[in-house]
Amino acid sequence: MSFPADAPFVSRPVPTFAAGLLALGVHALFALLLVFGVSWQTQQPAPVMVDLWDAFPAPPQPAAEIPPAPPEPVKVQPAPRPAATEPAPVKTPDIALEKKQAEAELKAKQIAEDKARAEAREKQLAEQKKREQLRQAEEADLMRRMADEEAANAAKLTRLAEARAAASRRQAAVASVVGEYQDLISAKVRGNTRIPASLVGNPEVRCRVRLLPTGEVQSVQVTRSSGNPAYDDAVVRAIEKSSPLPLPAESDARAEFVPELLFVHRAKD
Amino acid sequence: MNPELSQDLSLLHLVINASLPVQIVMALLLGASLMSWWFIFIKLFALKRAMRATNRFEREFWAGGDINAMYQRVTNEREEAGEMAHVFEAGLREFMKLRRQTGLSAHAIIDGTRRAMRATCQRELDGLESHLSFLATVGSVSPYVGLFGTVWGIMIAFMGLASVAQATLAQVAPGIAEALIATAMGLFAAIPAVVGYNRFTHDIDRLSSRMESFMEEFSNILQRQATKTA
Repeated sequence: MSFPADAPFVSRPVPTFAAGLLALGVHALFALLLVFGVSWQTQQPAPVMVDLWDAFPAPPQPAAEIPPAPPEPVKVQPAPRPAATEPAPVKTPDIALEKKQAEAELKAKQIAEDKARAEAREKQLAEQKKREQLRQAEEADLMRRMADEEAANAAKLTRLAEARAAASRRQAAVASVVGEYQDLISAKVRGNTRIPASLVGNPEVRCRVRLLPTGEVQSVQVTRSSGNPAYDDAVVRAIEKSSPLPLPAESDARAEFVPELLFVHRAKD
Repeated sequence: MNPELSQDLSLLHLVINASLPVQIVMALLLGASLMSWWFIFIKLFALKRAMRATNRFEREFWAGGDINAMYQRVTNEREEAGEMAHVFEAGLREFMKLRRQTGLSAHAIIDGTRRAMRATCQRELDGLESHLSFLATVGSVSPYVGLFGTVWGIMIAFMGLASVAQATLAQVAPGIAEALIATAMGLFAAIPAVVGYNRFTHDIDRLSSRMESFMEEFSNILQRQATKTA
């Protein structure tokens, strides 16, 4: 007995290389997305002071609309005299009747012409009057609109002034709260400061203090030294020891302290 | 005061500065992710082709026509014919062979044919299912591996915290950030693997049931043939 020599079933191989390239492509895409899409921000944005206004300041006054020049009443040329020239005197006819007849005809023609001219003038007058009325109405409308605008602007200005006054009042209130808390913080820090023996005079130390919203001290940096490193260190330690610092409850006043506080410290005050 | 605060927390920076175990975990996960995407694409191509070939074969088979001509066509283009065509070919070949032998009952002939078809069907399905277990493994394990990296990184970060006098958030933040990247990578590897695994097993199940029913129907046709000639 022998084994059958049947061909095994083989399918065409799958394009593995292309699959590998696609896999790499997916990862490259994801990496790009991660690198450029996610901003790994580490710097806290600088505190921003925002003034709240009830209304926007008045926009630059739009150049007063130049009223479209009222259409000049077009002077209608008086209707050209129809057939200005008098019919040339006909050769004196021989017969008087003919002459008379012709005269009568001429007269009738003249009367008709006069009538037509009068009618045309009347029509023209009426048109002019109508146009005049229209122009007057337009002018009145424009005046009314301008007055309205002026009134609105005045109202806006008063509102603005009120808002400004309110803001300044608020700022004054905030400033007083800020001063109070500055005193509080200074007192607390001063209580924790151990003035080194080597200190002479009353030097000033300026520090930049980063605070968490809870008042906890995140970091302290000396921006201007007193010239005495031992005293600088003592102040930094005192600030760290004073954590958490007292902070006002209102967010406006708090913005002066969080996230960064410029702190000026004097040994004796 | 805290140099870490002003440090650049870029992604590359975090990965490069990570501790060695975390880096190993990240490399492992990256490799797993690459491999699983590779297999996903391979399976995607293979299954798409199998589906298409099966559809075409079923259409041709049930359109009626000469079975012998069909057999010829299938054997000529064996590489393109697809899994169901292979089952058909194996069944018909066995049937012809058994019929040539005298003294076999119709029942025995059909039994042999079915065995041949079943064997081919199993082999084809096995080929389709290859690599699927890798996807399943990546899908279930890589989140844990990533979590391990994260836990390790956070442990290191907190140990560093113990050695300084004044503990601040800025001293642990970079460590935790780099540690969390490991979890993110684990999830990135696991999610497509799980999705791919589920989809491919579903597709293969459907193919398998279609082949199963084709085998039954084809056996019936062959049985009619066998009893007619016997």
